[in-house]
Amino acid sequence: MIGVSEKKKSATAASILLWIYSCFTVFVLGYMVYNSLRPKSELLTNTFGIPKSLGFDTYIKMFTEQKFHRYFLNSTLILGATLVLIVIFASMVSYALGRYKFKFKNALQVYFLLGLMFPASLGVLPLFLLMKDLHLLNSYASVILVLSAGISMPVLLLTDFFAKMPGEIYESAILDGASEWKTFYRIMFPLASPVIFSICIVMSVQIWNQFFMPLIFLQNDSHKTVPLIVMKYTSNLMLSMDKAMVASVIATVPILILFMIFSEKILDGVASGGVKG
Amino acid sequence: MSFLAKRPFLLFLLPGFIIYSLFVVYPIVAAASISFFRWNGIGPKTFVGLDNYIELFTSSEMMSQFSNALLNSLQIFVLTVLILIPVQIIAAYLIYNQVKGYKFFRVAVFSPQFISTPVIVFIFMLLLDGNVGVFNKLLEWIGLGEYVRPWLGLPGYGMNIVWLMMSWSGFGVGMIFFLGAMKMISKESLEAGYLDGAGFWKRLFSIILPQMKITILNMILITYIVSMTVFDFNYILGGVSGGVDHDVDVMALLFYRIAFGESRNPLGGNISENSMGLGSTVACVLFLLIFVMSMLQVWLTYRRREEV
Repeated sequence: MIGVSEKKKSATAASILLWIYSCFTVFVLGYMVYNSLRPKSELLTNTFGIPKSLGFDTYIKMFTEQKFHRYFLNSTLILGATLVLIVIFASMVSYALGRYKFKFKNALQVYFLLGLMFPASLGVLPLFLLMKDLHLLNSYASVILVLSAGISMPVLLLTDFFAKMPGEIYESAILDGASEWKTFYRIMFPLASPVIFSICIVMSVQIWNQFFMPLIFLQNDSHKTVPLIVMKYTSNLMLSMDKAMVASVIATVPILILFMIFSEKILDGVASGGVKG
Repeated sequence: MSFLAKRPFLLFLLPGFIIYSLFVVYPIVAAASISFFRWNGIGPKTFVGLDNYIELFTSSEMMSQFSNALLNSLQIFVLTVLILIPVQIIAAYLIYNQVKGYKFFRVAVFSPQFISTPVIVFIFMLLLDGNVGVFNKLLEWIGLGEYVRPWLGLPGYGMNIVWLMMSWSGFGVGMIFFLGAMKMISKESLEAGYLDGAGFWKRLFSIILPQMKITILNMILITYIVSMTVFDFNYILGGVSGGVDHDVDVMALLFYRIAFGESRNPLGGNISENSMGLGSTVACVLFLLIFVMSMLQVWLTYRRREEV
């Protein structure tokens, strides 16, 4: 019993830390949403005063004049295509590495891990030249290809999964006359779906918030992603403070709501990735 | 066909291998080779051996920018290791012990991860602003009005503010990693500690921490890689030049500036003429800085496993 009450005391004292952090986070979100409902004149001259008017005027402007949904579509397109490609590439590679035994397997495993050590952003000069030669500058394909090549982390997680899977499942499928390929996509791939789900979650956050690659490869306004377009509004605050606020809210809140809904699964997925990675 | 039939794994490997080699591995190799040339990407490409490396480390203008950026990057690394990681471990330990409201904390602490960098920088700029900033208002309100200042314009504060923004947004991920590592620790060793009468904190320091050394080492390495490659916070806050007098310049931003040029304040014909060569040189130095640390990490981990 002594242990319990003592635990309570020190834990309560230390959790003030968590309270401060959480309150700040909630405050930031509230601050953003509240200010997004105020007109520009109020934001600059009546910052701390009682609001005279609140409304969705700027939101309407963002979708009619500024065509904000277009950037949402751009981001969604890049995210969707990249995720599909990552899942295809990574699951096939990991299946080969986890299921089969062959020469140079260990060397290949190390080869696929190199990407964890060397961030893609440092290789961007040769990438830029490569994309120029392929005539892919200013196209979604450039960003999608570069991002979907980053399969090191998914390969690491999935190889482990396929290697630990009991061999009988594979052997009975082959005995039933299924081809190697059919065994993979009909039986093995569905079995891996929980791991693939958590990989998708972790990668989605990275891809959605990706700043560097779109900055380099997507120079046209019409192709820009949400983070880049938010920066367009925040870089000239005097002119577009209200739009910057609304853009921030639109870029943040829907994703946060999705996170709240799936939080249990997402947090578990991230935790397992961290232990192995 | 029979060659492939005997080796079904080849077909599974091929697509991923090609795209990974082309867009991840090839750029590293190509950057290394470009760093031995004097080249701006379009004009003539002349082999100059190690001249780019010599220029980077002997030209006083280059060297001062390089050391400034490196020190700023290292500042993020040191602050994170000394302050953020201990706090993350304590927070993870609290949630591990299921303190009151731990489910809420888990979500609240992880949420900023989903906010994209331009939004984070924008909000912090507003909060710390000299005129409309909430932070100054708060200082006045609690009677510290004399400390009110335009925080973002002050020289010397820039990197601390960048670190604060990064810590706020990255806090949750690291904490979840530590939490995951704590959950892997066997219940028996904890119960043994309980029976020995080890207190709340003693259990953390003498039972849990020694068992998650590898995770902590991994996090330190990840922190190092992140601080060497952080770009977006500094770029959004300080532009291509990294703020006034390169106040918030970091390694990745220096690399970007040399490679893609500084539109407002070009460093001079010498550098823009050799943008690809010198840019790749900076990238290679960064590769090396990361590689050395990774090898050290592998060696430390390996040695530990030998001991056990």
